[in-house]
Amino acid sequence: MANASENKTIGSVMVVGAGVAGIQASLDMANAGYYVHLLDSSPSIGGLMAQLDKTFPTNDCAMCVISPFLVEVGRHLNINIISNSELETLEGEAGAFRATLRNNPRYIDAEKCTACGQCRDVCPVTAVNEFDCKLDLRKATYIKYPQAVPLAYKIDRSICIGCGMCEKVCLAQAIFYDDKPRQTTVEVGAVVLAMGNDVFNPSAFDTYNYANHPNVVTSLEFERILSASGPYKGHLMRPYDRQIPEKIAWMQCVGSRDINRADNSYCSSVCCMYSIKQTLIAKEHAETPLDTAVFYMDMRTYGKEFDKYYMRAQDGGVRFIRARVHTIEPAADGDLKIRYVRESGELKEETFNMVVLAVGLTPSKDAEALAKRIGIDLNTHRYAKTNDLSPVSTSRKGVYVCGTFQGPKDIPQSVMEASAAAAQATQNLSQARWTLTRTKELPPEKDFSGQEPRIGVFVCNCGINIGGVADVPAVREYARSLPNVIHVEDNLFTCSQDTQENIKKVIVEKGINRVVVASCSPRTHEPLFQETIRETGLNKYLFEMANIRDQNTWVHMHNPERATAKAKDLVRMAVAKAAYVEPLQQVILEVKPAVLVVGGGVAGMEAALGVARQGYQAYLVERSNQLGGVAHHLRVTWQGEAVAPYLKQLIADVQSHERVQVFLETEVKHITGTIGNFITTIASENGNGKTSILEHGAAILATGGKEYKPTEYLYGKHPNVLTHFDLDQAITEESDTLKNAKMAVFIQCVGSRTPEHPYCSRVCCTHSLKSALTLKKMNPEMKIFILYRDIRSYGFREDLYKEAREKGVQFVRYDPENPPNLISDEQNNLSLTVKDHILQRPLEIKPDIVILAAAILANENKKFFEIFKVPTNSDGFLVEAHAKLRPVDFGSEGLFLAGLAHYPKSLDESIAQARAAVSRTMNIVSKKGILVGGVVATVNSDRCAACLTCVRTCPYHIPRIGEEGYAVIEPAECHGCGICVSECPGKAISLQHFTDEQINAKTDALFSAA
Amino acid sequence: MSQFEPKILAFLCNWCSYAGADLAGVSRIQYPPNIRVVRTMCSGRVDPLFIIQAMQDGFDGVFVGGCHLGDCHYQEGNYHTLRRMDMLGQLLDESGVGRDHVHLRWASAAEAQPFADYVTEVTETIRKLGPFDKEKHRLALASLARSLSGSRLRWLVGIERQVTEKLNVYQEKTDPAQFKKILQEAVQAEYQKAMIQELLAAGPVTVREMSEKTGLPIYTVSVRLNELERVGMADIAGFDGRTPKFVSPAV
Repeated sequence: MANASENKTIGSVMVVGAGVAGIQASLDMANAGYYVHLLDSSPSIGGLMAQLDKTFPTNDCAMCVISPFLVEVGRHLNINIISNSELETLEGEAGAFRATLRNNPRYIDAEKCTACGQCRDVCPVTAVNEFDCKLDLRKATYIKYPQAVPLAYKIDRSICIGCGMCEKVCLAQAIFYDDKPRQTTVEVGAVVLAMGNDVFNPSAFDTYNYANHPNVVTSLEFERILSASGPYKGHLMRPYDRQIPEKIAWMQCVGSRDINRADNSYCSSVCCMYSIKQTLIAKEHAETPLDTAVFYMDMRTYGKEFDKYYMRAQDGGVRFIRARVHTIEPAADGDLKIRYVRESGELKEETFNMVVLAVGLTPSKDAEALAKRIGIDLNTHRYAKTNDLSPVSTSRKGVYVCGTFQGPKDIPQSVMEASAAAAQATQNLSQARWTLTRTKELPPEKDFSGQEPRIGVFVCNCGINIGGVADVPAVREYARSLPNVIHVEDNLFTCSQDTQENIKKVIVEKGINRVVVASCSPRTHEPLFQETIRETGLNKYLFEMANIRDQNTWVHMHNPERATAKAKDLVRMAVAKAAYVEPLQQVILEVKPAVLVVGGGVAGMEAALGVARQGYQAYLVERSNQLGGVAHHLRVTWQGEAVAPYLKQLIADVQSHERVQVFLETEVKHITGTIGNFITTIASENGNGKTSILEHGAAILATGGKEYKPTEYLYGKHPNVLTHFDLDQAITEESDTLKNAKMAVFIQCVGSRTPEHPYCSRVCCTHSLKSALTLKKMNPEMKIFILYRDIRSYGFREDLYKEAREKGVQFVRYDPENPPNLISDEQNNLSLTVKDHILQRPLEIKPDIVILAAAILANENKKFFEIFKVPTNSDGFLVEAHAKLRPVDFGSEGLFLAGLAHYPKSLDESIAQARAAVSRTMNIVSKKGILVGGVVATVNSDRCAACLTCVRTCPYHIPRIGEEGYAVIEPAECHGCGICVSECPGKAISLQHFTDEQINAKTDALFSAA
Repeated sequence: MSQFEPKILAFLCNWCSYAGADLAGVSRIQYPPNIRVVRTMCSGRVDPLFIIQAMQDGFDGVFVGGCHLGDCHYQEGNYHTLRRMDMLGQLLDESGVGRDHVHLRWASAAEAQPFADYVTEVTETIRKLGPFDKEKHRLALASLARSLSGSRLRWLVGIERQVTEKLNVYQEKTDPAQFKKILQEAVQAEYQKAMIQELLAAGPVTVREMSEKTGLPIYTVSVRLNELERVGMADIAGFDGRTPKFVSPAV
């Protein structure tokens, strides 16, 4: 490796904005050998996602899925969270930037604060609670939300009167009023911008009465209303009088697709889906029947599994009304009267109990100002400007962008871009990889085998959070009486830094070999204590926790005696288990520093080249005889960048890169091994049958997709009926048919959103709009019709829709029940009939050419997918590990996906996903070794009957029957859930650290009071 | 018909107004026989709760007498009295009882005539208000007592001079206008929440019922109720159709 100081490449990066995108980018880079400074102007990380109740289309709880990420970031040795701070200037250049930060005062020491909340309870000043979208109040001393990271309070100086009460009650002595704004600098090699967006404020829409009526709420407010941690604890109620609504209406496109009142001409990309989600969740929450109506212009359910979700809502009785509402007026008793015009022109009125405004995303003023300060170009919509062919790069070299600061998008797209930005940001820093990261030097583990358990019990008062309710000294003395306990003590705060030092001292002095801490939740604090005991040479699994705060004193505040008794029970149970816990060894497996990429289209090539540019070997396997895939059929990206030169260059780069080995006309035959160590057999299909063995640490599947060959609308029977691919080719060739055409008709959704392919192909609306504009440019006199079901020009693609309407392209909506009818007469003249929804009568036109927006299908790879044991959905697309937060990972560790094999997507999105996959593989192959073992299932071969129960049960398909004829569970792959253990008929499997013996010891202890 | 004779409780400080009252006696200065005096060492000892207690017991009004500002025997006690009484006045207005039932006057040990004049004036004022109907104001008085028992208003009143006249914890002076606004908000919020808590204690009760009984707008009840729920002081007891009923949480 080159000397880092010599060419001034700095092995650290800065991420600005700690929402879900910033978090993902930080984790990716920190896990791939870079020290990350994660900056956020807010006092805690989490961004907008933390405010959401559920996420579409899986209806997962947003907090439940994001909170482990928050905790991981908070505890990561190589992520430095700089909260409450802003980036002021950025000097230098790619590889060596110098960033000046303004650290705003918090007035509470985040290191000392235990988030007990005493300061909040006594604070006499209130302000609106921004986290609950002003539905309720907070104090001047506050925490953004209970799961916040860092979990520390802050004083809002703008409303604080300086009374000093909080300091008086803070037992942790964390308050310091003389905190001042500071300026600090950090040196970084690259910067990733992930500042996110604001949410549109509809106060200016006076005809919607948002500012005047409590029952007109924004969609984000409604999200808080639905949330179990929100103001109404998840009960669906309306703000005005807390009545359970009987009828709720959603208004789409508030602050989106609107230049009259909102200034935002683009589509916000997420509102259709979140509104559908809200209708479904609201129906679930409602204790009485609920009528829901969504007023919309186009239903844009263009993502993976989105259309099925939409259909589910329709089947569930959600009313979708295609109409723009002009007024929402107060009616009696807090109700609201809505007036709208139906498509047919009919004026209608309906009264609802509550109205939700589906507010769009709007550029963040702070982010705009920051972009100007550091010299980043913005586009006309005031978002970071990027090109389709370099989707996460800003106008400044070394500065990358992801998430909604680049444009409105949903969570998976943001997360994907975050990983892509991580890959791009680190691509030129690879020589400085692992130069600035920190590792913890740990003493060797001591061997306690054969020793009796010697248990130390530490009982926490947590200020007065535990001690103010339960009798902590009594709990402590009780612990002394328990078997194997040789040391007890209680602490004001067991988690404080000085207590950690004390614990270490006591462990050594008294020869403690098992530690029990009775305090808060292991979910948040177990890793801290495990780290502490490990520093003394104790294996980290020789630890057990009793949750006597979150699940005891906080929930039995008015019942101190029983809380004390319960605390004793919990301590007894923890001590009982502690006597049985065993040290678990995690072993380091060497990693093969290479990545296999399957599929030689754009996604596969970008992936292979990305891996190579990160400094690792890439094997690119393609079954056809050429690289490039379907991109050969594409003319321009949606923003008008030419595809052919890019593709040519990409192929040349792939072929010439020393660390990319390309295998054409080759297929994967077999794969074994696990994350970090796969062995794959590939075979040439060009007749010679040559096979090769590849060793690699990770694999990326980018097996692509194809255009549907229509059987409808005379395709293949009439020369002037084209698909998009055909049209692109005709435009490139400047065909006479096009030049001479006086009328062109585009038919949307050919093969998409049908019973056979019940999904939206995502790209076709944009492609038709773009092509219509090209045809108009070629021949402004040409009459162009686009026959559509919904125009789904999401994000800034809406600009194309707007332009097409301005240029006179005519849009005619059709119903799938009454599709257009295309016939050809004896002279080969085309004739098309379609029912016009506005005129309510059939429209007859004689087009010269007809372009079919044919669906995108996944390539058929059943056998291949079986080799990798990766799942596909009912439409044939690969299924990722988690629809929201792991959009490029497979459930099986070490395998990743990109491109059309995942779902139809545009070229920029494919490139971003491929680069994201690169970043994900770097988390594996850049490491010298990976730690395996710990809490994993192990098989006792003597008892295994190879009955396959575990194989069927495992949600990750990890167990297999090995060559010796019994089940094998790879410790490197096992997620440690223990489902197979409890299912195994022969009780041949056990889950380490959660063995039957250990769990039974806990339950037995409950009934054997000492 | 004989004219209404109000019963007025007077708190007089030992050093000035009580002495002034004695001097009035020595000087044989006459004033209406409606006041009943409780002697305190300083007007600063008068807890606003005493005043509410007096109204609950059946007094028609309360008179508080202290030393002139600057003359307090305990240096600054009457400044505290002043702020406390002002806060109480806001609360009484908020509650609909009205601040005219409670009067604060300064009378020195030498001011026998002014003392007698004050008593006369206050008696006439309260006489004009007519008999105080403590039953009609039962909810208001209970709510006043509850809001005055909580720590928020007491702390705010107690800290006002420190932060607006001396130095706050940031070694600055808090803007008096800002403080005044915060105190006003706190008075309103605490009183409204106290009323709701009184009703919740006798619950279950719906938002609309609470609005009727408190006279607060429906949405105000909804907002204040939610504040109480967020700190565990109110809970949903069940539903009557689509209408939730609320109670104080079982302890």
